[in-house]
Amino acid sequence: MAAMNDVDKVEAQQEVDPIVEAYKRDVDVTLIRENLRLTVDQRFQQLMELQRFAEDLRRAGRKAGEK
Amino acid sequence: MTDFRALLQLLIENEVEFIIVGGAAATAHGSARLTLDLDVVYKRSSENITRIVQALKPIKPYLRGAPLGLPFDWSVPTIQKGLNFTLVTTLGALDLLGEIVGGGGYEQMRAETIEVEIAGVKCLCLNLDRLIAVKRAAGRPKDLEVVAELQQIRDETRQ
Repeated sequence: MAAMNDVDKVEAQQEVDPIVEAYKRDVDVTLIRENLRLTVDQRFQQLMELQRFAEDLRRAGRKAGEK
Repeated sequence: MTDFRALLQLLIENEVEFIIVGGAAATAHGSARLTLDLDVVYKRSSENITRIVQALKPIKPYLRGAPLGLPFDWSVPTIQKGLNFTLVTTLGALDLLGEIVGGGGYEQMRAETIEVEIAGVKCLCLNLDRLIAVKRAAGRPKDLEVVAELQQIRDETRQ
């Protein structure tokens, strides 16, 4: 078997970054699977709808704060 | 709100050479995270810079977060003198990047892209492996969260 060169070693270390591994436990894989069923264009349409929704929420929050 | 589709259409219609990077690239690959701006790495040739200036002029680019009224001249010399520009436009937030950490410039990343179709136009997008490497190189806590999600996407697509 060929020995790992320095670049491979660094990449192998990065692959098992414990911080990333910890974050991976909290990733919602169901959302990813839903997105992977969409076309790239549909993913961007969904992102823009999400932005609109986030802005609506912010506006509603500001209004509630004014009362 | 940033109209990602309209911004990309505008750049492609004006034959701007660029690569989608950052959160928008993550979206293209299937990320469920909300991103608010379009990040692109642009080719630093004089011709391309001229095309960028022409393409964006109608959407009134201005430095994001800067006080209104600064004498910001949207022109070829301005782009040539600078490198990375975080802009606000009438179509939303656009980051024009000459280089990014962990990726370099357009020429260095060109071979590590995939072609994606958005709003009927074909654009170059950083491939998943290079996007993960770039996010790792950025190294901010929020980037590591993105790396975790992108690795899950890679795992899912390899199954």
